[in-house]
Amino acid sequence: MALSTNFLVGIIGIFSVSQAALMGVGAYAYAGVAMAGMPFPVALLAAVTLCALLNTVTSLPALRLAGDYFVITSFGLQFIATAVFVNWVQVTGGSTGIAAIPAPRMLGISFEEPQYFVILSSLALALASLAYTLLMRSSYGRVLHAVRLNELAAGAAGRNVLKMKLGVSAVSGIYAGLAGALYAIFMSYIDPSSFEIQQSIVILTMLVIGGARTLAGSLIGPLLLLAIPQVLSLVHIAPELLGPTRALVFGALLVVFMLWRPQGIAGRKI
Amino acid sequence: MQLILQLVLDGIVHGCALGLIAMTFSYIYVTTGIFHVAHAGILTLGGYLAWYFTGVGVPFPVAVAIAVAGSAAVGVLIQKGVYEPLMKRRSTPLVQLIASIGIVAVIQNLLAIVFSPNVLQFEMLPWRKSSLHLGSLDISYPQLLTVIVSLVAALGLLLFSSRTALGRRARAVASNRSFAEIARLRPYDVYVYVVAIGAGLVAIPGIFLGVDQALQPYSSLGLLLTAVIAMIAGGVGSLPGAFLVALVLGVLQNLVLAMVPGRWSQALTFAIFITFILMRPTGLFRIRMQRAS
Repeated sequence: MALSTNFLVGIIGIFSVSQAALMGVGAYAYAGVAMAGMPFPVALLAAVTLCALLNTVTSLPALRLAGDYFVITSFGLQFIATAVFVNWVQVTGGSTGIAAIPAPRMLGISFEEPQYFVILSSLALALASLAYTLLMRSSYGRVLHAVRLNELAAGAAGRNVLKMKLGVSAVSGIYAGLAGALYAIFMSYIDPSSFEIQQSIVILTMLVIGGARTLAGSLIGPLLLLAIPQVLSLVHIAPELLGPTRALVFGALLVVFMLWRPQGIAGRKI
Repeated sequence: MQLILQLVLDGIVHGCALGLIAMTFSYIYVTTGIFHVAHAGILTLGGYLAWYFTGVGVPFPVAVAIAVAGSAAVGVLIQKGVYEPLMKRRSTPLVQLIASIGIVAVIQNLLAIVFSPNVLQFEMLPWRKSSLHLGSLDISYPQLLTVIVSLVAALGLLLFSSRTALGRRARAVASNRSFAEIARLRPYDVYVYVVAIGAGLVAIPGIFLGVDQALQPYSSLGLLLTAVIAMIAGGVGSLPGAFLVALVLGVLQNLVLAMVPGRWSQALTFAIFITFILMRPTGLFRIRMQRAS
């Protein structure tokens, strides 16, 4: 998931806090299609396409605007998405969410068993990472870096900057959709609270701590942050305070990293 | 008709609170150039401080004063401890923004841990539920207080900004920091004052919205976002513009309630805003439009 945000923040120099919302769209799309009895590849494709489309369309206005306006639209989209998840009861099940999402079945194996799911998600992660590396090394990736460093110059060199940015939005949408679908499969239960602004902040924290603009950063961040809840479980905390405590630690980490190491553990300058 | 009028009245109350949030955010944003998301955290903090002190038996006005002072102090802490080092290191606006998001997360969750993640009410104030009747309309005492205090505070900020020496100094720093530095206006000191004033004032809507409705640790980001929208629609840099548009937004959001269920109303505001910002990125009252850097 952090990969998807990394794409937006690190590569093209725009910033988004609505990644959780996008992931939610992916999860709901997957759930909806899979519940309708469609096979796994169709559902996955639906989730990924929808997210890519949605991310492109919603970044369209934002790309015309300067940095801070983009932030606001991004916050706004996050709130709109949450409202839709909660209120569009016919499709999303409202605040109760959707339960019993079927696990994929391929080649006669059901991925319901955890060990198979691990294989599936590792495969997806490996594929996504490979695609990311290849993309960044390609001429396309180099132009993207050029756009981030100097938009005007890239434009002057005959590159269609807007098209580039839209392309990135689409790719980022694909990653988010993939993450959403995997999440829906893994939890087999989704509800709006999994895709709220707090979750977007968690994703942002993962990215910032791991380090923006590098693949290693996107992988280190989530691994480290997922370890934090395990550490917290050693300390005795009342269960209803666990969520806030975790979020508190994440917030503090954000501030600390911005103060002393804004590029994260394995990142490059942002 | 009666319902519509009542909704307009509620909208005005809500709008006044929003207006003060929008004005203070605008004041900090224009002067320091930081997209101060942590403002939402301070908004919440003000309400909880007032709740705590009224709870231990301090008279309400004194509790409000303590909350305002406490919020201002936290504002100073944020500026001195986080923003100033970042500014001195010339970090990008993105880094400052992320730090600010981190601060909101810290404040909100700290409040959730210390007090409670659930909704809190100002139960110790007996006048909370009583209201004034204006013909067929009702306005509760907390609502009345919200309007009065917000208007007074907003007016005070305007006068401060235009009439006092410190206010002028802040505007000088806002319009050109390097010149202000050469003129020995010491921008970093000015930032501390500005953030402190903004933080102190934003505690007020935090408290009175809390008294009127309830306190929640996580609801303030949506409020702040609406206020930021008002600031942009009113023209960045124009304090009265921010307040007026916030007032209109407050009324509109309440009128929408007559047609669609509650949670759609905020989403609708954002949707309208995103269309609006495309059409007219300079705001309604175009005074000065530049990204404060």
